[in-house]
Amino acid sequence: MNAPENRPEKPVQPPRWARWLLTRLHPAETLEEVEGDLDELYTYWYRRAGKTQATLRYLLNVVSVLPPFVRKRHTQKDHSPLSNRHPDMLRNYFKVAWRNIIRQKTYSILNIAGLSIAMASSILILLWVQNELSYDRFHRNSEQLYRLICSAGDFRAAVSPAGMGSGLQAEMPEIEASLRLSKSSTHLFEAGGNKFEEKRVFFADSNFLQFFSFDLLQGNAKTAMRDPGGILLTEEMAEKYYGTEPALGKIIRINNKENFIVAGILATSPSNSHLQFDFIIPMAALAKSNYDLRNNVWDRFNFYTYLQFNKNSSSVDIQNHIPRIQQIYKRHNSDGKIDFQLQPLTSIHLHSDLQIDVPGHGNIQYVNIFFIVALFIIAVGCINFMNLSTAHSARRTKEVGMRKVVGATRFQLVGQFLSEALIVSFISLLIAVGVVYLFMPVFNTLTEKKLAVHLQDGDLLIKLVGIAFITGIISGSYPALFLSGFRPVSVLKGKFTFAGGSLLFRNGLVIAQFVVAIVLLIGTAVVYNQMNFIKNKNLGFEKSNLLYTPMTGDLWSKLAVYKDALRQNPLTSNFSVISELPAALISGTIDVEWEGRDPNSQVVIPSIDVDENFIDVFKMKILTGRSFSAAFKGDSSNYMINEKAMQVMGMNAGNAVGKRISFGGTKGTIIGVVKDFNFKSLQYVIEPLVLRLNKWGGLVMVRTQPDNTEATIKVLEGINQELNPAYPFTYHFFDKNLDDLYRSEQQMGRIFNLFAALAIFISCLGLYGLSAFMAEQRTKEIGVRKVLGASVTGVVALLSKDFLRLVLIAIVIASPIAWYTMNRWLQSFAYKIDIQWWLFVLASLLTISIAMLTVSYQSIKAALMNPVKSLRSE
Amino acid sequence: MRRTYLGEFEEVVLLMVAILDGEAYGVTVSQALEEHTGRLVTFGTVHNTLIRLEEKGFVSSELGGATADRGGRRKRLFKVTALGSRALQDIQELRSHLWQLVPPNALKISGL
Repeated sequence: MNAPENRPEKPVQPPRWARWLLTRLHPAETLEEVEGDLDELYTYWYRRAGKTQATLRYLLNVVSVLPPFVRKRHTQKDHSPLSNRHPDMLRNYFKVAWRNIIRQKTYSILNIAGLSIAMASSILILLWVQNELSYDRFHRNSEQLYRLICSAGDFRAAVSPAGMGSGLQAEMPEIEASLRLSKSSTHLFEAGGNKFEEKRVFFADSNFLQFFSFDLLQGNAKTAMRDPGGILLTEEMAEKYYGTEPALGKIIRINNKENFIVAGILATSPSNSHLQFDFIIPMAALAKSNYDLRNNVWDRFNFYTYLQFNKNSSSVDIQNHIPRIQQIYKRHNSDGKIDFQLQPLTSIHLHSDLQIDVPGHGNIQYVNIFFIVALFIIAVGCINFMNLSTAHSARRTKEVGMRKVVGATRFQLVGQFLSEALIVSFISLLIAVGVVYLFMPVFNTLTEKKLAVHLQDGDLLIKLVGIAFITGIISGSYPALFLSGFRPVSVLKGKFTFAGGSLLFRNGLVIAQFVVAIVLLIGTAVVYNQMNFIKNKNLGFEKSNLLYTPMTGDLWSKLAVYKDALRQNPLTSNFSVISELPAALISGTIDVEWEGRDPNSQVVIPSIDVDENFIDVFKMKILTGRSFSAAFKGDSSNYMINEKAMQVMGMNAGNAVGKRISFGGTKGTIIGVVKDFNFKSLQYVIEPLVLRLNKWGGLVMVRTQPDNTEATIKVLEGINQELNPAYPFTYHFFDKNLDDLYRSEQQMGRIFNLFAALAIFISCLGLYGLSAFMAEQRTKEIGVRKVLGASVTGVVALLSKDFLRLVLIAIVIASPIAWYTMNRWLQSFAYKIDIQWWLFVLASLLTISIAMLTVSYQSIKAALMNPVKSLRSE
Repeated sequence: MRRTYLGEFEEVVLLMVAILDGEAYGVTVSQALEEHTGRLVTFGTVHNTLIRLEEKGFVSSELGGATADRGGRRKRLFKVTALGSRALQDIQELRSHLWQLVPPNALKISGL
């Protein structure tokens, strides 16, 4: 203070280390003033009491302002940057996000519409995929259950001999249980005054209910299958036959001759079971009359055999049992040339391409394709979002600049934009779920499934939220990183221009979108073409105007009378009695001998029993020799073969007729060779075939005269009713059956079609948004151009040119991809189209015109605008 | 009515701030304390008390008056707030009221 003797005020300094201590440990908020105060006090003490005293007191006082003695100053001005999880900040983010959605209505609608359509279609596809993958997993021991299947060379079938299941079980302790199931058969059921023919009828061993996990609603699971006179039927059937009355214990009459007692009511077979049944009859009922069952044969392949392996065997262990099975089979059937495989129950639905199998299989290829399509569509939706929000970032540069200036970190901005994306994606999810609900019935008709959304299902809910979350993050990531990277100074000065990089990225995204759309479009076209090709392929016979009625009941015993009756009416006289439809022949034997046969060959030869009219009715061609004929009495021991069989047997058109072969143990002479015709789905090449003379019946195929179909049906019905009054008359069109062979392909074609259209639509939404934005950005430029004399067409061309280029690049990239994938798909057909170049041209032209149409609206609008308007405001 | 408690030392420091009238900061308050009451307290005590008074709203502060002899560091100058002066007056009133209640001889005797 006042110390006149120290006139030249020499600053005195407290010990440096003590001050260092103070600066390190004293709270930062008050350090400046305390340091100053203490310095002043030190000088004061120094003057009054000398250096030692001053130092000591200084030290004491420093300690008194160190923690834990010092009190921390809390001021109102104590504002560290607000955390972005602070409620105020969150509220601000929501407010800004909402305002942006509201203010830019067009873009928000485009964004949300694109995303929600993409999500809805992906959800539908994923539900379908999930359903396909869930097949047969509901069985308790699904991992332990296998089906015994067999193969002979390329011919693979789902059936095995009647004796094998129990035979293997007796010799192999690893097998805990075995179950045989008959092929499904058609029977006439009668109960409670109702009479129907039923197709989904199976005979099963008595452990059916224990082996599989189908729900038995009524009846005793332990005893229901014990009584050979009992029958299990599904809930649906119980209602069909007995209405509301209790069905259990009631009598049901089968084929007008046998009475069964309803021993149990099964739940309707789950839609994700490869076995779809209405009636289950104990095997014992069939055993009375069935040769295979009575003799426990090992050489006739007529049953499905399922095996249950014990719990501790892994799938590898189980596959290792195959040599043992082969060995045991050899012991029972020394000249058998059949190989066996074990097929996991859970892969029957998707991985099965076996012949003689239960109908209605899926295809893992389609599951994979659709899964990828779902991802693609979501990607297209995300790209829309990215593109639109990056393009529109120009409108938000000021906001980003301001936020940065007042202290927002980049991390916070990224968080803000990501959460905006999440808000949009969750809004889209809500809409998407609504759309899914709305379109579920249509989709179910399309896919012939019974899918449903159960929002109470937590698993599904998590998946949906997951989809929305991932979509939000992915689509928000690029805009977030891009927007948060703006430099506040240049942005606020208005110097900001788009970097070439972002434009390139956006163009890349547009190209990616159109690549997906074009691939799907070409895919659709190829599927459509292939289906058309199959529909119109010459099968070796005339498939139109053929209708057939299966022989039932008394008709079998009245075959001669029946034939006479048919022959007498000119409408039905052009008929043939054949054993099976030549659409999907399911029988075959390896027991064929011919001169010079290689003893090791594994050729399976199917056969069909036909009558004398077969060749004429089907309008087939004879290559050499003659058809069966009533004029030749000895024809019942003669054979006809097809062209392929002739080649397999090493004969030629010149020498085949008259050769002797043995088929299924019966010797006979070849009397004719028929030109190849397709008797299986076109996924298979034509196999060798033996035709035998039909003396027993099967079904009656009638070639109708065009325009007289209705009358023919009437006549047929009359004849049937007269000869066989106990059975209802049924008829089918043969070409319908042929079409049904390609049901799953057609289904796939339809689904593909739908999603290709959606992908293009979503892409165009994005394109529309982009073009609108571009047109808006270039308003001034267009104004100036028009003032200087540019024509409307010139301006439209200018604006469309950039987009056209992108679509062209997309076409160049998409074509080889589409060509490759579709070629892979076509490999599954033995008869296929070559992918034509004009398909690509067509798809390209279609895409270009759709894209240009989308862009043109905005560009024409911009081009027609009065330049005065756009230039006046500045 | 419950009012904010003002401790004895706090009251003294608050009075010092009032006495110094705009010139009150850590150093002057310490020196005034020593000068007027003869109490030697550590700087930390004064510092903490001033902060506490400010938290209670009896004083307000602002930074200012950097001088060379403090190495250019600013002082935190304290002022008594309206609430502070009100508290001091309340105490004064209460005291004089209580004094009047003391019987005339009670303290004299014990004082002797």
